[in-house]
Amino acid sequence: MSELRDGYITGTGAFLPGAPVGNDQMEEHLGRVAGRDSLFGKKALRWNGVESRHYAMAPDGSVSHSNAQMCALAVGAALERAGLAPRDLGMLAAATTQGDLLAPGHAAQVHAELGGGPMEIASFQSVCGSSLMAAKAAWLNVRAGEHDVTAACAGEFSSRWFRPSFYEGTALVDAKGRIRAEADFLRFTLSDGAGGVVIEAKPRPGALKINFIDIVSLADRYDPCMWAGATVDDRTDPLAFWAKAGPRAAHEAGAIALLQDFELLKRVIRAWVGVYLEKVDQGRIVPAEVDHCLVHYSAKSLRAEIVSLLEDTAGMIPQEKWFSVLREVGNVGSASIWLMLDRLMQSGQVKPGEKILCVVPESGRALVGFMMLEAV
Amino acid sequence: MSDVADTLRKLTIVFTEFEGRLEQTPLIRKLTRGRFELADYHAFLVQLRQQVKEGALWMSRAASNIDDKHLELRSLLMRHAVTEHRDFRLLEADYVASGGELRVIQSGEKNVGSEALSAWMYHQASQPNPFGLLGAMWIIEGLGSIKAQEWGRRVKETLALPDEAVRFLLYHGENDVEHIEEFKAMLAMVLPDEAVAKRIVRTAEVTARLYALQIEEILQ
Repeated sequence: MSELRDGYITGTGAFLPGAPVGNDQMEEHLGRVAGRDSLFGKKALRWNGVESRHYAMAPDGSVSHSNAQMCALAVGAALERAGLAPRDLGMLAAATTQGDLLAPGHAAQVHAELGGGPMEIASFQSVCGSSLMAAKAAWLNVRAGEHDVTAACAGEFSSRWFRPSFYEGTALVDAKGRIRAEADFLRFTLSDGAGGVVIEAKPRPGALKINFIDIVSLADRYDPCMWAGATVDDRTDPLAFWAKAGPRAAHEAGAIALLQDFELLKRVIRAWVGVYLEKVDQGRIVPAEVDHCLVHYSAKSLRAEIVSLLEDTAGMIPQEKWFSVLREVGNVGSASIWLMLDRLMQSGQVKPGEKILCVVPESGRALVGFMMLEAV
Repeated sequence: MSDVADTLRKLTIVFTEFEGRLEQTPLIRKLTRGRFELADYHAFLVQLRQQVKEGALWMSRAASNIDDKHLELRSLLMRHAVTEHRDFRLLEADYVASGGELRVIQSGEKNVGSEALSAWMYHQASQPNPFGLLGAMWIIEGLGSIKAQEWGRRVKETLALPDEAVRFLLYHGENDVEHIEEFKAMLAMVLPDEAVAKRIVRTAEVTARLYALQIEEILQ
């Protein structure tokens, strides 16, 4: 038996479509549901703290890039930083919340856009945490000696799901044209883009050694918290999901749009904190040893709620070590962690020997992932 | 590793695991999924009453077993017991206001989980300097400050009940920040001490498991 090798991130890449869209233009950009201003939008923006984001869909509905194209561009950028090209890849792992097609998997579409000749692929579909699922597959492929060069990417094209036609004429909009908060919040929160990393068995100057990737699902305890494919009431009944009624009736019932349960989210946040503190308690994560902390928190106010609890329990990583791009590039779901890492690496702040902790909570069905990187 | 922050971290982990376990119980599943019925609420109140009624009593017993070196903690437990020892009347009033008969809740019996929880509490409270019970208080008061109001709002909404039928759950939603500050002060009265810290965490684990068993047994 050969021993496991180390795996190093030798390049990061990001892609954001089009010009930044500010808070004052975003509703115009996505379109107004039933022609009305959102009642909830301003509150959602205050809550999530996003000031600017990018969309791959223009106000007139024309599309600049598909999800897979954005991913391929991000992987291409990461390969270039590593001094490699698509043909050097042995394996590509791709993640997303909602791919361009319902089938086949996202990785097939990304590979088709990227080129590079025959290679192994793996698709990961979840919510934000799918990014680390793909990263773990790409890393373990290098570690196990299956491939010398792999890539992991994640992309989202949420805005096409936020067009008024996804809501109008459905049970999500009442007789007065008001859209349910479960649906409206996400419209004002998520946006488009992609990010990726190249992983190799040999380090290069400026590479990041992957110390561990831990992913913990609590789906056996919690009901779906962010989902698409079932109505609010039917989301806990696997036999009543959208396909039962068929696409037209499911759409009318409000089963197709992306939805979020806020009450449940509060409980899921506490569960995430519990998992994190367990990692601290086990010595897997040592807060004092972390030099850069990248947390994909979906909202600014979420962070405030968690900080005091972490301080009380010696689990806090000092705020000056936190790095985020949420305000500038928005919440891009699974791609966010790579957008943050790419921006951090380009900032020149990371010095050899420093540790970077990436935390990716996923409200989908209560999952949280951790990745510890060490600069070589 | 036995100071206040380390103990509070372990206790927070115990509580979040406890919350996940509660979430899976048939009773709470019905509540969170909007399928809660009046009979469920009544069965819930009957068992809550058992705990609340005994709570002030085991706390008093625990206070009587605390030595002279820890008078401040003894005072605190006694004050706590005084504040809470009539609270079961509130549960009875909620029961009646939601259409139940007083004699039914008053003659209600403990389920298997309630029996086990109660026996465990009195046993712990009977030990000399029963500081482990701080772990039990963390669990039970955590329910009060974190879960009760959330449950109360859901019960009220699902069953279309007036406030006066859900007063116990709604009224228990005290300020979470104050709750943690007060609790930290209590921990500081007995920590750092490795054996005590271990006992507090262990007592929280057992109390959480038995409390969840009580909820599990309500709808079996």
